[in-house]
Amino acid sequence: MQESELIVRRIKEGTVIDHVDGGKGLKVLDALGIDGKDGSLITIALNVPSGKYKKKDIIKVENRFLKDDDTNKLAVIAPSATVNIIKDYKLVEKRRVSLPNEIERIFRCSNPDCVTNSSEHIESVMDVIDKDGRVLRCRYCNRLLDVNQLKYR
Amino acid sequence: MNEFFQKDIISVRDLNKQKLEVIFEATNKIINMDPNKRREIARGKALGYLFYESSTRTRLSFEAAMALIGGTSLGISDVSSSSTQKGESLADTVKIMSIYSDVLVLRHSLDGSSRFAAEVSSKPVINGGSGTEEHPTQAIQDLFTIKKEKNKIDGLKIGIVGDLKYGRTVYSLLHALGNYDVEVHLISPQVLKIRPDSTYDIKKRLSFTESTSLEEYIDDLDVVYVTRIQKERFPDEEEYLKVKGSYVIGLDVIKKMKEDAIILHPLPRLDEISVEVDKTKQARYFKQAEYGKYTRAALLGLLLNENGF
Repeated sequence: MQESELIVRRIKEGTVIDHVDGGKGLKVLDALGIDGKDGSLITIALNVPSGKYKKKDIIKVENRFLKDDDTNKLAVIAPSATVNIIKDYKLVEKRRVSLPNEIERIFRCSNPDCVTNSSEHIESVMDVIDKDGRVLRCRYCNRLLDVNQLKYR
Repeated sequence: MNEFFQKDIISVRDLNKQKLEVIFEATNKIINMDPNKRREIARGKALGYLFYESSTRTRLSFEAAMALIGGTSLGISDVSSSSTQKGESLADTVKIMSIYSDVLVLRHSLDGSSRFAAEVSSKPVINGGSGTEEHPTQAIQDLFTIKKEKNKIDGLKIGIVGDLKYGRTVYSLLHALGNYDVEVHLISPQVLKIRPDSTYDIKKRLSFTESTSLEEYIDDLDVVYVTRIQKERFPDEEEYLKVKGSYVIGLDVIKKMKEDAIILHPLPRLDEISVEVDKTKQARYFKQAEYGKYTRAALLGLLLNENGF
């Protein structure tokens, strides 16, 4: 077992988000709404030395299994991350995050004059027009969106 | 079946060259048609308009277009007198209007409002100008005017002058020009340059230069498209006063232009084109406004008739 994996303890049930770009860990917690208020154990390691990515963050969350919306958020914030689903201490699913073709609901369009930011009942839809460059565009107002400035709905 | 039947017209990005040419052909047909036959195209049909922003030309040209092809128009041109003032949502207003009419035209200050309206409407929606970037029927009208007055679009040198930051017609026009092989020069004050974040797609299809000098290009242009400095979109009046009157097309400028060059303007104009210019052969902006009636009539005719007209 590598040294980096020993820094935080093993979990019985839940999700391990590994290879988060160094320093993005807290942002990931915020994006996923993980605040510990439900009493679940959360462990986080920031700036763990990693040969492959130089420095990475690791997040372990007990009793929570990431859903598709969560994975989409991760793909925008921490595209190198891997998601490991743990059941009874065993790794049952490992997935790399990848940007889908479109992202619904979870982000707010950064154009304040976009109809999706009005009082109308409407969900945001963003098309991913360049997966490598992580370029998103609001389907309604066509504005290109800076992924680093996206806010969650 | 014609490809426009019951389709929404939201963005000029959705119109490729082939589709534009279909509209131009239909427009020529409308112009040359027997008036009695023309009035049959939309007989018994109603156009519903919802104008959340003030407009004279666009609304009137849609009404005139509908009348030309035998239909009627109804709608709201003053939001302060409508149930929107009572707090009705755009979605509900659009749903109601789509019960009363066969096709809708929406003008709204919010970006993306027409796309949203099209989703909730049971009838086709035409974007009559939304937010700061979309005005597809103006772009169709502009391109048709160029084609009609210059007999071609490909190969032309086109200068777009004035407020390129806030003028929504400019963005729609540039997207539409992306379908053609043209040389485009954008001329504006530094603070009113085109927004770089809005040209991501345009740059893939159209090469253009940017300059603050009209002098540099004026003698070489085939089309001079002049836009108004949009006072109402300036956050600060002082900023507006600094650039007001940056470019004025007067008789002195006309002398430097090519003999067969044309001047277009989406109107309304303030002082960017002197009234003396109206009498010159280069002035085609009133002709352009007239073509707006015909292009909109053609579009309405295509949207409303399964087999065209």
